[in-house]
Amino acid sequence: MTLNDPSPPPSRRRTVSLTVLVVAIVLVAGAAVGTTAVYYALHPTGSTNSGGNSTTTVIDDLGRSVTVPLRPTRVVVLGPSIVDSMVLLGVRSSIVGVDCSSAAFGGILGDYTPAQVAAWNLSSRMCITAYPALYPPQILNLTPQLVLAASIVSESTLESFQATYGIPVVILAPSTIGGITYDVQVLNTIFETGSAGAHLVQQLQRTIQEATSFVTNLTDNGTPLRSVLLTYYVVPSGGYAGYSTFGPGSFGQSLLDLAGAVNIAGGTNQGQYPSLSGSQVLSANPSAIVAGYGFGVTNSSYAAGPDWSSFSAVVHGNVSYVDVTYMTEADPTMVLWIPTLAAILYPGVPFA
Amino acid sequence: MARIGGPDRPRLRALTYGALLAGAFIVLFLLAGILGPVAIAPLTVFHILGYEITGGAFGGSPCGGSVDPTRCATLVLIVWESIVPEILLAFLAGALLGVSGGLLQGVFRNPLADPYLLGISTGAAIGASILFVFGVGVAQANLTLPLLAFVGALLTGLVILLAARSPRSSIETLMLTGVALNAFLSGGLVFTLLYNPIGNLQLNFWLLGGVFGATWSQVGLLVGGVLVVGALVVLHGRALNLLQLGGDVAQSLGLDSRRVVMRSILLASVATALAVAFTGVIGFVGLIAPHIARRLFGYDYRRVLPISAVVGAILLGGAFDLSFAILPSTELPIGVPMAFLGGPFFVYVLYRYRQRSGPGAET
Repeated sequence: MTLNDPSPPPSRRRTVSLTVLVVAIVLVAGAAVGTTAVYYALHPTGSTNSGGNSTTTVIDDLGRSVTVPLRPTRVVVLGPSIVDSMVLLGVRSSIVGVDCSSAAFGGILGDYTPAQVAAWNLSSRMCITAYPALYPPQILNLTPQLVLAASIVSESTLESFQATYGIPVVILAPSTIGGITYDVQVLNTIFETGSAGAHLVQQLQRTIQEATSFVTNLTDNGTPLRSVLLTYYVVPSGGYAGYSTFGPGSFGQSLLDLAGAVNIAGGTNQGQYPSLSGSQVLSANPSAIVAGYGFGVTNSSYAAGPDWSSFSAVVHGNVSYVDVTYMTEADPTMVLWIPTLAAILYPGVPFA
Repeated sequence: MARIGGPDRPRLRALTYGALLAGAFIVLFLLAGILGPVAIAPLTVFHILGYEITGGAFGGSPCGGSVDPTRCATLVLIVWESIVPEILLAFLAGALLGVSGGLLQGVFRNPLADPYLLGISTGAAIGASILFVFGVGVAQANLTLPLLAFVGALLTGLVILLAARSPRSSIETLMLTGVALNAFLSGGLVFTLLYNPIGNLQLNFWLLGGVFGATWSQVGLLVGGVLVVGALVVLHGRALNLLQLGGDVAQSLGLDSRRVVMRSILLASVATALAVAFTGVIGFVGLIAPHIARRLFGYDYRRVLPISAVVGAILLGGAFDLSFAILPSTELPIGVPMAFLGGPFFVYVLYRYRQRSGPGAET
């Protein structure tokens, strides 16, 4: 190469070539992505709704405005609490699929008790595997018009499903007792349940009002409020031995508040679902224990729990065993169970 | 000491292997539609794929005429809008992980080098936890989750690169920096997860790796990524060949070893970050693919890198199909069958590596 050689040095030629190559590839890649996006903007994925249905718009528990078909006849329900509501509203026949754990994790009995399966006429044929992950083809295979989902499936998954397949998803995941009534009203709107729906809403509202009056009466009469351990699960031994219970802000806390009881875990800072050790329960010394059975937990499971036989409530026979779904599934049955809980804790005291 | 440039495989053998790899792609693609948790007749799957790929050029029903039209629309939705994007995403992510493993094994001259060695996966998990734990960008999770995971992974890679810029840094220092960074980020991740137990469950499942819920928009994004990374990777083959001779020898042959190492690590980080962003953490692909590539086509990194991409794609596609076979009623996280395949292979590689010992040992 001479001083007067007009050619650029090899390294610069290589750099220029590389830059041109990279820019070209980026442009091609961008074009590929861009045309895909444009294609889908012009060809939105069709929904599987049957034609001709009227529609309505509802606001779900996450504040999402969702347009849904009126009186849908093919609904996939992801959450036992929603199935409970639909059964009570008399629209169980619209349910074509329900959430289940995978077969390796119990199938339908992983999400529903045998009593629920029998009472609600569910079967494994209706299973939509929602745990450990939701798989869209199983839902699509049922050609649903609507998906109703509780909090067992993440919002991100549901949003993605609705956006991809065009099937409306309404998320009913109440965070308060009052939210349960709101969800029933949303279902009333969707299914136009008429008097049946109105009656259920009135029942729920009346129960909550009566519970409030009940607690006020207890206080006015100077009745000492009972301290209670409300537990839904127990780990008998090992490093995590203890009683799973309900902390501040949980539905369990609300249930005890409305039944006139003091939650021994109400002052913990372990979140909504703390676990109390045997010594912590001993220290709190609840006068009553309400323990939930189901999903593999039995009465004898609690008997094997840490320090169980030492609890004064156990010694004095103040332990009640109830279906765990009453305290763990945020549905109308939970609200309607409040008088029963009050009767357990204050036998002989009229609720209404 | 690695042999540069092979033994050069006979052309016929190379063509045979190439045909087998191409055939594997086709078989895995077709199996994905047949093995899914929704029972669809194989012939119907073939009809749907043919119809959609050709854009209906030959007319007729997408399902071949033997299926009720309403049912056919549902099956088309399942196959073309759900399963096909998932298998394609598996192929693309596998390609990225494979090439990333090839780059890192070349740079570190260590057959046990893996894309997750540098803590990139944990960085991605930190990014993903922002969505799962704090709910940021949940409404557009389809795009925000990969974005957050990608940014987290890339930032981790950049930290490694900063360490690589130090004049006193060596290959071993880089690897140890990655291990230390991995440990630090893991602690941070656990601390974050204590904030929201429900987010913990979702994040843990994401960490197992999976392509469920893949969409065509995600496939399009990853195609773009693969094209860019692929074009840049092709340019590194010769430099990696020289690097196998050792840094000093490569330097004496005119190669700027430090710059090659940094560019390779950056490229491997970007490739890994792209894959992890869309599929979560899937191990062993980047470890196994380069080994198979070297076995089939020799030690020339001009071939090892692109073939690692192909093999990685096939591995992950196969794991995707296997996930349906293991638990037919559900979609198993793709990282699980990959671990079943990769664990024994890793033990085998480790055994052979210890037998021959030394850095850059051939396997």
